[in-house]
Amino acid sequence: MEATQATPVKYDMDVVRWFTIMAVVYFVVGTLIGVYVASELAWPFLNFDTAEITFGRLRPLHTNAVIFAFGGCTLMATGYYMAQRTGNTGLWSNKLAWFTFWGWNLIIVLAVITLPLGITQSKEYAELEWPIDILIAVVWLAFGLNHIMTVAIRKTSHIYVSNWFTMGMIIMITYLHVVNSMAIPVDLTHSFSIYSGVQDAMIQWWWGHNAVGFYLTGGFLGIMYYFVPKQAGRPVFSYRLSVLHFWTLTFGYVWLGAHHLQYTALPDWTGSLGAAISLAMIIPSWGGAMNGMMTLSGAWDRLRTDYVLRFLVVSLAFYAMSTFEGPVMSIKTVNALSHYTDWTVGHVHSGALGWVAMVSTGALYHMVTKLWNTKMYSEKLINVHFWLATLGAVTYIVAMWVSGIMQGLMWREYDEYGTLTYTFVESVSAMHPYYAMRAIGGAMYNLGAWIMLYNVIMTVRQAGAARVNAVAANA
Amino acid sequence: MSDNQKTVGGVPTTGHVWDDDLGDLVNQPPKWWMFGLTASALWVVVYWVMYPSVPIAIGGFHFEGIGLPGSGKWSAIKEMETDAAEVDAVRKKFEDKIKTATPAAILADKELSEYVSRSGKVLFGDNCAACHGTNGVGVDDAKEGLMAPILNDDDWLYGGEVDKIYETVSGGRQGVMTAHKDTLSPQQIDDVSKYVIALSEGKGDDASVAAGKAVFASSDCTGCHGADAKGMQAMGSANLTDKIWRFSSSLEGVKRTITYGVNSGDPQGRNAVMPSFTAAGKLSDAEIKKLAVYVYKFGGGKASAAPAADAAAK
Amino acid sequence: MADKIYSTKLQDATERSTLLMFVLSAVAVAVGGIVEIVPLFYLPNTGMGNGTKHPDVVWHPQAGQTLDDWKVGDGVRPYKPLELAGRSVYIREGCYTCHSQMIRPFRDEKDRYGHYSIAEESMYDHPFQWGSKRTGPDLARLGGKYSDEWHRRHLEYPRSVVPESVMPNFVFLSKNKVDANRTVESMKVMTKMPFNPVPKEIYTDAYIAGAAAQLEGKTEMDAVIAYLQSLGNHVKFQEGVNYRD
Ligand code: HEC
Ligand code: HEC
Ligand code: HEC
Ligand code: HEM
Ligand code: HEM
Ligand SMILES: [Ca+2]
Ligand SMILES: [Ca+2]
Ligand SMILES: [Cu+2]
Repeated sequence: MEATQATPVKYDMDVVRWFTIMAVVYFVVGTLIGVYVASELAWPFLNFDTAEITFGRLRPLHTNAVIFAFGGCTLMATGYYMAQRTGNTGLWSNKLAWFTFWGWNLIIVLAVITLPLGITQSKEYAELEWPIDILIAVVWLAFGLNHIMTVAIRKTSHIYVSNWFTMGMIIMITYLHVVNSMAIPVDLTHSFSIYSGVQDAMIQWWWGHNAVGFYLTGGFLGIMYYFVPKQAGRPVFSYRLSVLHFWTLTFGYVWLGAHHLQYTALPDWTGSLGAAISLAMIIPSWGGAMNGMMTLSGAWDRLRTDYVLRFLVVSLAFYAMSTFEGPVMSIKTVNALSHYTDWTVGHVHSGALGWVAMVSTGALYHMVTKLWNTKMYSEKLINVHFWLATLGAVTYIVAMWVSGIMQGLMWREYDEYGTLTYTFVESVSAMHPYYAMRAIGGAMYNLGAWIMLYNVIMTVRQAGAARVNAVAANA
Repeated sequence: MSDNQKTVGGVPTTGHVWDDDLGDLVNQPPKWWMFGLTASALWVVVYWVMYPSVPIAIGGFHFEGIGLPGSGKWSAIKEMETDAAEVDAVRKKFEDKIKTATPAAILADKELSEYVSRSGKVLFGDNCAACHGTNGVGVDDAKEGLMAPILNDDDWLYGGEVDKIYETVSGGRQGVMTAHKDTLSPQQIDDVSKYVIALSEGKGDDASVAAGKAVFASSDCTGCHGADAKGMQAMGSANLTDKIWRFSSSLEGVKRTITYGVNSGDPQGRNAVMPSFTAAGKLSDAEIKKLAVYVYKFGGGKASAAPAADAAAK
Repeated sequence: MADKIYSTKLQDATERSTLLMFVLSAVAVAVGGIVEIVPLFYLPNTGMGNGTKHPDVVWHPQAGQTLDDWKVGDGVRPYKPLELAGRSVYIREGCYTCHSQMIRPFRDEKDRYGHYSIAEESMYDHPFQWGSKRTGPDLARLGGKYSDEWHRRHLEYPRSVVPESVMPNFVFLSKNKVDANRTVESMKVMTKMPFNPVPKEIYTDAYIAGAAAQLEGKTEMDAVIAYLQSLGNHVKFQEGVNYRD
């Protein structure tokens, strides 16, 4: 006896509106920094002898801006949105939701200040120093509690599949963040991890991979499961597929961290554990990709007119691709070549630009029209954004594949005398054209984000003074 | 309630409805997917049995896995040893000779010296070029002067004979020139600097630099650079009569060298440290021999020590 | 009809109960990590105090010896004050974003960088600095490869010595003085670590007390160079010995 919309529900959507706007803003910022660090590798003078903007300090700012600022705001906007709508209920606590909004944005501001100052723990995607780590834990738990309680007070009998993924992400990220961030402070802005060497490496990449697996993948699969059927106006293709691939991913992904450390001083057995299950993750991952694709099938005709749907389709294609590439890169012999090279970076961005950012873009466009119940200011601009994003991503990824594989081969090339053929520096200069190409692809992608921001702002403005005031009132 | 159960394209939904129109169909996952899932599970088991993957150690020994068909038990180290064996096999006929041969003999042996020209490239590029520049052309810096001596000319601080070069690379060098800021007056330093510059221009006897000439003769310069100022390779003191400058040819540069010295411990002195690649354990003896020959063959090598080599070198 | 179950009873119950869904997920995501991480804290060859098969690779001072008596090849040792300060600079400048410190057991990495890295070599590294990207070369065995003078010139203006380099200029490091207090505090923290702390007989109170003096007037450039010169020359590796398994 599922509840229906017979009795209109009061949703708390203002906080969602603001998370949505900030997500778009951080999308522009995060990719802009990406373009800058990409350009620094192509044209090193851009470091300008200025500590705050040297590559080594800006790179972590880029990753934090895209993952936590852009990704985080998208996850929280959609998380609150989906939990309410699929449960026919308002938020468990609107106040707490606003706390997470201000808390999360405070964290982002602190990141923007501390990372360029070189205040970092040096653990990838966990660079932020211990006081910010504590703040992250608090805000994350608040988000988790609010989301899970909102699911708990739902009016529907069953929990919608999107919320399974979001809940799984909330739990896993809590484990990861707490364990990986353990450190002893020296002072307010400096601390040392309590782990060292092999143990620290494994714990870091247990975090590192699952930040990818649960945050950048699980969380966004939740988004996919709501917005694809919504936008296509069709039910999810297969309920059983949802169940099977949810549990296999949830159980399996956790093991993969070790594939970041193959052939290192980490014992062989740990690498093998990770490598085996990495390959076994192709099918579960494709389960999600296919469930999305098949949901769209039958709505193909809409692709010609519905640009938002295009973003969703392409994101699923990239998702399927990067979850095939990743497992291949986990094979010992392949990883021996790809590790340490731009190939990894290419893989990262086929997942990041192609999957994470594309599915987010689709979801955000969809939400904007619903939240401000109006049409997008310009369908045409969505289409322009779509092509810039797609071509930009492809340019970026292709450049990194070529340079990555070239790099890996140059390092290991032996001549007929059985001696190394290339010096390291030769490989460095060989990278240049591809670094330039990557920067251009990135610039295209970033331009698309600017267009999206403009389009969203114009849409909100046209949505009418009443709504805008309401938003402002809640700010 | 059944009225919630829609059918889409002939397939019913589970009957659960969310947010007005969200639901899920009762379609079965495709056959190939279910098959793939089972295959994946099997794959994991097989892989774990073949490769070392058991997080248990008895008496410090891990279960190594039963190994792979063909190559047997696997470990990263074993894999490296097999791969290394391949290239070692190719190098062996050369390396064995190099182990016992002197640099001079290597130079003399046409085949070996050809081998060395090839295998020296990356050795030099990854270890030496940082200071001596690609192919030994030197790393010059307007502000700081030459990082290290140019190696493709025939001017040598310590001697260009292949054994001398070997000595340099294996033992390292640190030529010392005392600072003169206390022993000489600014005036004298200015004079002697002008003198040595004149020397390199072949105008050492000009009246204009007589003062400096006197300073040079009277002070400790000759002790190291010799009365003829041609330098002493025993201590790596530079030849001041040729056109090649180790550090800098500008009056300012020369004055700095003389005032503060080289490796003199004076904070403003010049530093000139050629690391010992043997002490640092960076290169094997064979590799150092190769490099000696490789550097020699830049063209500046002095044949005297290895007459037989002359032919080979050209 | 609507209540017909299309999966299993348990799955259906899970979808109906937030608590059950929460608990089952919490368990499912815990397993992998526990299996892969926990054993690393007690199994051999993981650089944890217990059970290394090559005890000789780690330096243990004789009575009366201090870090200053340590000589290259004596075995893995903790960092000296200036090196530790340099390590913090290395972390702050994000050198690890371009440089790895982990030589893998491959023939080409052996030829280019030297002996493969072993667990013990990073046992005092809180946090580890293995890196994940080689925009620049591996630095695991850099110690003694170049002169301090070269490092200074290279770090200030990499392209003045290596024209092809894409490394940023770190000229500002020569202007900053090292933070002695923070370094001393860092040394104290290192002795308090729950895992692989620096032994008290190496960081003795006396040694820590003397640290400030060693840092007197040093720049961050001096510090990072000292750190780089300390990399990778701790262990004297024997030919043909398997140091990993
Ligand atoms: C850290 C910088 C540095 C590196 C690396 C370096 N050198 Fe040197 N090299 C020097 C300096 C400085 C001198 C001059 C020493 C002196 O002036 O006393 C020198 C001197 C020499 C000389 C003697 C030149 C002469 O005129 O007699 C040779 C030969 C040489 N190096 C070869 C090599 C080779 C081969 C390598 C690589 C294995 C190498 N160097 C690596 C800095 C370096
Ligand atoms: C203790 C020995 C010693 C004494 C005394 C000494 N020199 Fe030197 N000098 C050297 C050495 C060794 C070098 C080469 C430094 C190197 O390349 O490592 C050198 C280099 C130089 C150079 C640089 C040459 C170039 O190519 O850039 C000049 C100029 C020079 N000496 C002049 C003098 C004069 C003038 C005096 C006396 C006032 C003097 N030296 C006294 C040992 C000495
Ligand atoms: C933008 C990437 C980048 C960053 C950040 C970076 N490096 Fe490098 N580094 C390189 C590249 C490329 C090379 C190879 C070319 C050269 O020697 O400059 C290199 C080379 C080096 C070398 C010479 C290694 C050898 O064996 O020849 C050292 C030492 C070094 N870097 C230290 C550092 C330190 C210390 C930092 C941080 C303060 C740092 N690097 C930051 C890119 C980087
Ligand atoms: C305009 C778009 C972008 C550009 C130009 C860009 C550029 C870059 C560059 C230059 C790096 C450093 C690579 C290196 O060290 O060689 C990087 C790293 C990274 N970027 Fe991006 N980026 C973009 C968008 C994104 C987005 C949207 C995400 C995530 C959603 C993302 C996630 C990451 C991650 C996780 C890394 C670290 C990769 C690693 O450590 O291997 N990037 N990016
Ligand atoms: C089954 C799916 C996947 C598997 C098995 C997998 C596997 C891998 C492997 C083997 C690496 C290289 C590790 C190394 O050599 O350093 C890697 C890196 C990475 N992958 Fe994936 N990948 C998968 C999916 C994804 C997706 C969907 C994303 C989305 C963003 C992603 C993001 C990343 C990132 C950010 C890195 C860089 C880590 C670093 O900083 O080095 N991966 N992945
Ligand atoms: Ca952190
Ligand atoms: Ca990385
Ligand atoms: Cu991974």
